[in-house]
Amino acid sequence: MSLNYANKFSTYIVKELPNSHLLKVLGFRKGTEFKVQSKQPINGPIVVQVGSRSVAIDYGVAKEILVEEVIAN
Amino acid sequence: MSCHSTESKEFVNEKGLKILLMGNPNVGKSVIFSKLTGVHVDSSNYAGTTVDYTVGNIKLGNDEGILIDVPGVYSVEATSEAEKVAVGLLDEGADVIICVLDATHLERNLDLAFMLKEFPIPIIYSLNLIDVAERQGISIDVQKLSEELGGPVIPTIAIKNTGLMDLLLKSIKLAGTKVDPSQVLEENERWDKIKNIVHKVQTHVDKEPSFIEKVENLTIQPWPGIPIALLVILLSLGVVVGGGKALRAVVLLPLVRKVIMPFLTSIISMIIPAGIFRNVLVGEYGVLIIGIEWPFALILPYVLLFYIVFSFLEDSGYLPRIGVLADGILRKIGIQGGNIIPLMLGYGCAVPAIVGTRAANTYKERLMVATLVSFAIPCASQSGAFMALLGDRSIPALIFVYMISIAIMLIVGIVMNKVIPGQSQPMLLEVPNLLLPDKDAFLKKLKIRMKHFLVDAEGPMLIGIVIAAVVAETGILNQFSKMMGPFVETWLGLPKESSLALLLGIIRRELAVLPLLELSLNTLQLIVGAVLALFYLPCLSVFGVLAKEFSLKVAIYIGLITTASAFLFAGIINQLGQIIIRLF
Repeated sequence: MSLNYANKFSTYIVKELPNSHLLKVLGFRKGTEFKVQSKQPINGPIVVQVGSRSVAIDYGVAKEILVEEVIAN
Repeated sequence: MSCHSTESKEFVNEKGLKILLMGNPNVGKSVIFSKLTGVHVDSSNYAGTTVDYTVGNIKLGNDEGILIDVPGVYSVEATSEAEKVAVGLLDEGADVIICVLDATHLERNLDLAFMLKEFPIPIIYSLNLIDVAERQGISIDVQKLSEELGGPVIPTIAIKNTGLMDLLLKSIKLAGTKVDPSQVLEENERWDKIKNIVHKVQTHVDKEPSFIEKVENLTIQPWPGIPIALLVILLSLGVVVGGGKALRAVVLLPLVRKVIMPFLTSIISMIIPAGIFRNVLVGEYGVLIIGIEWPFALILPYVLLFYIVFSFLEDSGYLPRIGVLADGILRKIGIQGGNIIPLMLGYGCAVPAIVGTRAANTYKERLMVATLVSFAIPCASQSGAFMALLGDRSIPALIFVYMISIAIMLIVGIVMNKVIPGQSQPMLLEVPNLLLPDKDAFLKKLKIRMKHFLVDAEGPMLIGIVIAAVVAETGILNQFSKMMGPFVETWLGLPKESSLALLLGIIRRELAVLPLLELSLNTLQLIVGAVLALFYLPCLSVFGVLAKEFSLKVAIYIGLITTASAFLFAGIINQLGQIIIRLF
């Protein structure tokens, strides 16, 4: 599913993402594990936690990022 | 010890070492910079770009040199303006690089470190924020990391001045040593290598989130983040407005009126005999009297408090959170949330705000933010003038003027979004950690900002006041008033003497307000005058910065639109006001 449908506080892993330089250098790559920290109203950005840093990702960009939920065991 | 043979440094610095301070954004680079350098710090523009970098002097024993605070970058692939500057500075060469690594985010920071190793310059690593890392349960084997990186790693806590002396000492020792650039790694190779290193040197124990982490999390949630943001803005307003009024009434006005003015008057009276010349200098509206009272007693307190509050919010890492929270709404008027920072800075001064739009990625966004700032955002100087004009007479009128400012801003934003082709850049933003601002870095920044205000404001202010005295004395004002009179009196409902404000308002925004203080106006006239001044021409410095950052055409265009709307809106308010007054 795409990132904009991700649930708050759940953990995901990046499957596919657009080729964006900035996403890459922010540590958001294929295989990156992250937690959704918050989702802003009226199609605002989705804030994800990669490691200990928070990164805000535009709603439009989030639509193009495919993620898979990581079920904690 | 250091060798002084690199040919590249000659044109930059003859007297010693050249050290580049590099790292990702928000890793504490500027704090390290302000702790290591002396008082003389210069900010300069890098040729061919819109990015500024800061240069400071360092001195340790017999070794002297310069430290360059390179703009924070994530890579050196020259894909952004900041990266172009970084690459340019690297290509010019240096004796040593201090690469600042954020211990809480080693993996991403090592990415830049490995890219820097591809240049033939020795590197020393500052493993910064180790205290924060420890709090988060991260521990790093410094010895192992140093082996993996092939260079010294110094653990530092910049804000507490821990490890910085050691860092400087070791970088001077390292300066000028010959290093062979490491081979260029392909992206995936580099990432694999970094993953491997992080796995070897770093251990992470899960810890209960600390208080500050809880606050960080709450301030980025729509609830309670948005109410918190509104509260922070209200509180800031309270400090600037309330504090400014108090400072003005309790300290500055008495100081100016009871101490400085009598002093000046008595000195001038001793030197210059009574007459017109003495009156021009120290009369009731004398150049020296108004030239001191207006800028220092009426304007300075608000500007000072604004910059204290703004710099605090800026250095605490809170502002980008407001940007994230506001993105949804700002996107509706076509600009990205991050632009709320230059918009807020515009309430201080439009010049740094317009320069700050450089951070916006698209031309459309830059133009929109710059127009909004020049259009409807009163700068701190003008706000100070509004407080003096309306604050003592009618608080509702003051609030009304600011509501109009916000309403017009929204309308102009929506219209421009429709009219100007192009798109806004999607938000991809790292939200920095919240932290208590460092005192030294904070004071240095405040000093630079206040210096700019005093230099940029006091000069033109005095010129304006001299012009005012001259045009009033020579009768030019009468001519101008006669010419503008019918328009000013019938359409705007203001006394014809207020055309002085129109004349002076060209020079500085608050000068479009302050002359009204000397006239006895009713509340409607006060509002009309304030609205007129609000939308009237941006000041000369703004005009200059618009022409420099965009083009002369854009500057003239913005000037014409703002002036036309000033007369339009102020006139409409007057006409409507007249009707309402007649009805009741």
